[in-house]
Amino acid sequence: MTPDTAHPNESQDAEIDLGNEQAAVDPALFEEMPPEPPFTRTVHTTPLHLVTSAESRTNRWTDWNGYTVPEVLTDLGDEYRALRGTAALADHSPLVKYRIFGRDALAFMQRLVTRDLAALEVDTAVHVIFCEGSGLVLGDGLLFRLGDDEYRLVTEETHLAWMMESAQGFRVGIADVTATLALLSLQGPLSAACLNEAGVANMDGLAPLAARWVDIAGMPVYVSRTGASGDLGYELWADAEDAPHLWRHLMDKGAPHGLRPAGFALRELARLEAGFPRGGKDYLSAFAAVASGDASTPFELWRSPPVAFGKTVFNGGRALRALASAPPRRRLVALVADGLEPVSLSSVLSGGRMVGSVTTSAFSPARGANIALALVEAVALNGELAVTASRHEGLAFRETVLGARVLPEPAWNSARSLVLPAPLRP
Amino acid sequence: MERHDAIVIGAGLNGLVAAAYLARAGLSVLVLDRASAPGGIAAEHEIAPGYRLPRFALGSGGLPPRIAAGLDLPRHGLRFIRAEGGVTCFQDGSYHANYRDGVVHRREIARFSRRDADAFTRYRRDMLRAARGLAPLLAGPARNPAKGLFGGLRARLSLADSIAAIAPGDLRDMIRLWTLPASDFLDAYFESDAVKAHLAAAAMMGSTLGPCTPASASRLVLPWLSESGDASGGAPETLMPFGGPAALVDALTSVILASGGRLRMEAEVTDIRIGDRKVQGVVLANGEEIAAGAVLSGLDVKRSFLSLFQWKDLPEGLVERVGRVRMKGVAAKVNIALDATPGFPGLPEGCPSLGGGLRLAGPIPAMERAWADWRERMPPRDPLVEVLIPSLLDPSLAPQGGQVLSALVQYVPEALHEGPWSPERRDALGDLVMARLAGVSPGIERHVVALEVLLPNDVENEIGLTGGDYAYGETTLDQMFANRPFPGMGGAETPLRNFYLCSPSAHPGPLVMGGAGANAASTLLGRLGKAVRT
Repeated sequence: MTPDTAHPNESQDAEIDLGNEQAAVDPALFEEMPPEPPFTRTVHTTPLHLVTSAESRTNRWTDWNGYTVPEVLTDLGDEYRALRGTAALADHSPLVKYRIFGRDALAFMQRLVTRDLAALEVDTAVHVIFCEGSGLVLGDGLLFRLGDDEYRLVTEETHLAWMMESAQGFRVGIADVTATLALLSLQGPLSAACLNEAGVANMDGLAPLAARWVDIAGMPVYVSRTGASGDLGYELWADAEDAPHLWRHLMDKGAPHGLRPAGFALRELARLEAGFPRGGKDYLSAFAAVASGDASTPFELWRSPPVAFGKTVFNGGRALRALASAPPRRRLVALVADGLEPVSLSSVLSGGRMVGSVTTSAFSPARGANIALALVEAVALNGELAVTASRHEGLAFRETVLGARVLPEPAWNSARSLVLPAPLRP
Repeated sequence: MERHDAIVIGAGLNGLVAAAYLARAGLSVLVLDRASAPGGIAAEHEIAPGYRLPRFALGSGGLPPRIAAGLDLPRHGLRFIRAEGGVTCFQDGSYHANYRDGVVHRREIARFSRRDADAFTRYRRDMLRAARGLAPLLAGPARNPAKGLFGGLRARLSLADSIAAIAPGDLRDMIRLWTLPASDFLDAYFESDAVKAHLAAAAMMGSTLGPCTPASASRLVLPWLSESGDASGGAPETLMPFGGPAALVDALTSVILASGGRLRMEAEVTDIRIGDRKVQGVVLANGEEIAAGAVLSGLDVKRSFLSLFQWKDLPEGLVERVGRVRMKGVAAKVNIALDATPGFPGLPEGCPSLGGGLRLAGPIPAMERAWADWRERMPPRDPLVEVLIPSLLDPSLAPQGGQVLSALVQYVPEALHEGPWSPERRDALGDLVMARLAGVSPGIERHVVALEVLLPNDVENEIGLTGGDYAYGETTLDQMFANRPFPGMGGAETPLRNFYLCSPSAHPGPLVMGGAGANAASTLLGRLGKAVRT
């Protein structure tokens, strides 16, 4: 306390008579804090904000689902080399997390998503897609089966209204646990080694998409072998209060292995290299698509989307059956552009005609080229493609057209992501 | 005798827009108005020395960009303020604000319901889709909605098979919007009463419908009409001319004068000369006659036909049809000058949405009761009050430290069940509005410098607007588009040659500011062989 804020008579106030049952209690402790109006809270932070901001050497922040998260903590190149060479740790808490529980949890989830979940075992995860009645995609995400009657759905955007509407008639509870459940993403070839070093035994034996409760430095943590990096990686789900300690513990133990903290930009680059579309960026939820052409079907967005026509009624099922038989009119594809300099890509051309739009693009260090996810008319995919590229040169703005090819394989797709047991050394 | 290519009766906003288009197209134009200054309901009024506000209009709303740009208004000094879209204060002390930023607005809704915050995404999509469907119908001359509104749908339905998407729901969406009560429509999206009341209150202002009255859902689209779809995902913004509606009137007047047009104030048109079965000119109250190639009326449809012509000169059946057009007053205007900025302790400090206006409302059933009172011609007990404090964003409108407060009070009947409004009833209404204001801004009554209450009858007497109906005719589907003001006369062209209607009694009504004036001008110019884009 500085001299200006110290009260001269403070010592009297602070004295509490422990023998007095009518002990003076500061009433301010029990006053209900008026909730902050939304417009004043310009910085909405995750439970890990203090530890990640302590790592920031760039002061570059970004908005992810309304949360302020670091864009880059040190240097994107360094963070990338850690991710692909050793391991990187990032705060993914802004992802939307729903807990679905109750007697009818399985039946409800079967109704909600297009995949058949009957074979989904406890402590495993799968990629799921959910559609509205006309078969247009609302969102996709990772679904964990936490227990017999308990699931966790992790998505990029909020879907509470649709889930509650779909839950009519099912005995289930749905809770948004985004704010109370922290998510640490540990990705990279040495991520298993880092966990091993942090005191988690037998982590290398965890199969891809499997999960397990473990004890890390006295904290209960749910660890799953998941992540959108196209490589070996784990996601750690912990209580908001434990999360900062977990972060520090992992950083302490992992640093000797080359573990580095990373920001949101690296997550975007990694998922682009691995070819994962992001809701709200590479496709719009059917409920957000004002122009009806902006909504997509699963067959446009994924090469072989998990749609189980065999199972009983599910949302969008009938429409999807009709859609599956016709070839999609456009497709979300990964493109690689000619040219070796980083540029920003915008539209996709074929024979001089615009046939699609780039939704995400970045310079991929793995390919040494600019890569992109783009929505392209299906008929144009067999022909020659080109993309418009732009960059600044001094004050001049240069626009060029570069040749482009569809990537048959993601730019980064390491066999390590599926190896069992997971490698503990490079 | 003095002669002009066109005479515009009434220097209201639409009359001025029409005159500006005609003058710019090279016609000699004369605008006549019985008032001493142009503006009609938008005319500026000094309620106390230095306190300026539009006397009859609320003062928000902006011209669509195509009209503002088409008339080169920015060069004549017109600027618009884009404000956050307003806040609703409920009687229980809670509030719901509009924010343009999608993330902030969703957090605002989440204070009431997390589910509704999410549902807003779909609501916004549907409102923007409906607004985009309406926009082409509202932009040009009147078209048959059976062709436009529902016909375009047929094309999309047949396309839908091939592009494997959308459509079957579209027809249902459109029918829902044009037939359902706002309350039922909102129930399909939201669970929170506050969220629903907030959206309904904004929609019901100026409407003769209640939130539980069939067809009132169509009003929900209004705030979205000028919103572009790629904005950040929040609530629509409120557009206001800088300097109030008076600035809009000044800019339009300046365009007319700069293009060689003329305005004559204190010149009341009492008669329209018909000869050779076409309109030939006007007669003023002082007996002066002015000849014109065309006469455009900015008066409402009833006043245009029933008071400017000898009824025997009108085509058969016209008097009857004009008489049947429904025009009903629903709102009273309360103007207040304050010598201090009112505080709103229920609102968070610095709430940016206040600039876009303040609504005092109850839940939807209370609004519906207020509407039912109006139907029974009861004096309002629990009115819906829409408040704009234009001096918050534009301090030039009041002396230093002071504020002007403009309020529309709804639902207020033209006449009470017991007879005309008595002075006591009028004072009681003023007191009721002050009490409601004091409910959200305690102590505001101590800062009142001047206050006036204008009932629908006052609007009729002073401005000449039949029934004091700010909408110039009910805006239900049966009186919209090709049916406005009545079937058989869809648009500006009347059954009388050389006589055009340029008031919001004609398409597109009050839904597009200046739209009726622009349509009348383009219709006339089209007749004269001068194609001008309006």
